[in-house]
Amino acid sequence: MPAILFYIFSALTLAAAIGLVANRNAVASALSFFVCLCGISVLFVMLDAHLLAFLLILVYAGAVVALFLFIIMLLDMHGGKRPPFKKMTIVASSIAGALLIFGAFSFFARGQFSTDELALAQAPAFFTDLKIYGAKLFTTYMLPVQLVGFLLLVGMLGVIVISKKHEEKEPGDRIQEPGDKP
Amino acid sequence: MNATINYAELVYALRPEIALTLGLLLALGYDMAFGRRMSDCARRGVAVLIGIVTLASAVFQTLHTNVPPVGHAAYWFHGAFVYDTLAHGVRLGVFGLSALTLLLIAGSIPHSALRTPHFKHPAEYVAIQLLATMGFSLMAVSNNLLIAFLGFELASLSLYVMAGFDKTSRASAEASLKYFLFGGMAAAFMLFGFSLIYGMTGTIVLPEIARALAVQGPSPLLLVALVMVLVGFGYKAAAAPFHQWAPDVYQGAPAPAAALIASASKLAGFAFFARLLFSGLGTVSGDAINFGGPAGWIMAVIIISAASMLLGNIAALAQTNARRLIAYSAIAHAGIMLLGVIAVRAEGAGPLFYYALTYGIATIGVFGVFAAIERTAPCQRISDLAGLWKRSPFLALVLFVCVLSLAGIPPLAGFFGKFYLFAAALYLNGLMSPAGWLAFLAIAMSAVGLYYYLVILKAALVTNATAGTSASTEKIRVPLGTVIALATSAALTIALGIWPDVVLGLFK
Repeated sequence: MPAILFYIFSALTLAAAIGLVANRNAVASALSFFVCLCGISVLFVMLDAHLLAFLLILVYAGAVVALFLFIIMLLDMHGGKRPPFKKMTIVASSIAGALLIFGAFSFFARGQFSTDELALAQAPAFFTDLKIYGAKLFTTYMLPVQLVGFLLLVGMLGVIVISKKHEEKEPGDRIQEPGDKP
Repeated sequence: MNATINYAELVYALRPEIALTLGLLLALGYDMAFGRRMSDCARRGVAVLIGIVTLASAVFQTLHTNVPPVGHAAYWFHGAFVYDTLAHGVRLGVFGLSALTLLLIAGSIPHSALRTPHFKHPAEYVAIQLLATMGFSLMAVSNNLLIAFLGFELASLSLYVMAGFDKTSRASAEASLKYFLFGGMAAAFMLFGFSLIYGMTGTIVLPEIARALAVQGPSPLLLVALVMVLVGFGYKAAAAPFHQWAPDVYQGAPAPAAALIASASKLAGFAFFARLLFSGLGTVSGDAINFGGPAGWIMAVIIISAASMLLGNIAALAQTNARRLIAYSAIAHAGIMLLGVIAVRAEGAGPLFYYALTYGIATIGVFGVFAAIERTAPCQRISDLAGLWKRSPFLALVLFVCVLSLAGIPPLAGFFGKFYLFAAALYLNGLMSPAGWLAFLAIAMSAVGLYYYLVILKAALVTNATAGTSASTEKIRVPLGTVIALATSAALTIALGIWPDVVLGLFK
């Protein structure tokens, strides 16, 4: 039974991921992203990582996708017409795709996958319980949490500086152009 | 893991970072409270002053940290931090380099102030630079994948903003966006690689990873993880084939930001690179001494290094834009520093650190000269440098010293950096080894590099600004802050070349 569920939800996740990239409508892309995240979180549930599944829904599906939708609607993006691919792009992407398939093939053909019972038993189990997880965040992993706070500070400062309009228009703006390429 | 947290130890370990945090809050708070009533010039001066004082206090805190003797390391906070000579040196190095780049924006000439619109928000600029410096410092001391990644991202995010700080220039916006897109992609790869390593070993502490991998041995999954981690570091180091962002960023970013990207960011990146590869993944390094040894990351690093040297030096020959030329030369230098990473096995991290430090100092000198010229006229094409000798003998002299150091001419620091690195690489097993061949390639490519460095110097020192060229003939007045930064970098380039043991002695 779990195997069938795994295949169903993997297929759903992959289909949604393809839809995310292939869709021309930005809102539809964002909604496919949402479906994709739901599929992944079901896979996490089947791995007994309930907390991770819950956080994925809460943070990504809840907050991030909603934010995407807000931005898409605020900026009123329609996707528009994509110019046809250049020849170089097609050649380069075919080479990259062929390399990727070759790499994946050799990985599956020659790599040995072993489910090491010992390693599985040793896997740290404290991320399953929310209480222990919270305690870890505020003790052992306190410093990384603080650092993430600084990351948010950089992001905030950057957004303020870059999006703020100059008070007065400069008379002699820089005459520099992005030309001069070889 | 379960022991109680020793907060005193944490504060001791992170004193320089705490100083930086306080300094950036002070810079932001002061500007918010008093900035509106001050002139642009005074605002900039105060912000830079706060930044310099903060970096000086961070240096002071670092100097008052106990450094274990060479070959030993102190571990803090349950192994999250490691402190040894390399960490100590890199911390001092990034604070110093950051202070030098900060001086480049100090001071302005009143009547040409409209040439520097990118410093409309000096307090924010200084604050972001201090955050970037904090990221570099964390990368230098982290012994743990999680903290290293966060330090890496803190530095990267700050640098993206700094590259796009000049809002009146389209090139700056382009630089920032390209840097961001490449950086985001590379960070995703690296994080994926880290998570695979964590999945295989069950730990994020580097020495424990090494222990677990020594038991497991190389596996296909580990190779995938290695490749992903190398993508992330290749991007940080601007090594081919992950270099595409470098020319555009060096060209478009404001000169002080480009100088920081080229100097302190590289020093911290290579320090953590060497630490991760040797103390974390050292047991799966493969063989640099013989051909046909076991597979490992050394072979991949050798290939990236050779590709960077070839591409950087040859593409630099074709450049007409001075900043893009410096960018391609930076790619070539990244290749040599990757050779230095391999040579860490023979001679320790001393030669690599010396090379990255002196390279950073010389690059700041070059970008400082560009920044000073830009105050009166655009400085992008090599022909814009024409007649520099007449316009400002001081700038021409600094450019002369720094460019010759980049080219590796004795007795400047760049020559000894190359010399010690190549010697260390050859110590591994002479010329008939992968590392030896790479050192040979590096020597050959240095000769190629000499040509384009001399092209810059010819434009600046020999060519006159005639009516046909775009260069202006106006005299350049260099503000005091820039004079201090440029004089310091030129003097250090000469002094470290004459007394390399000042730096290398730390590692002996």
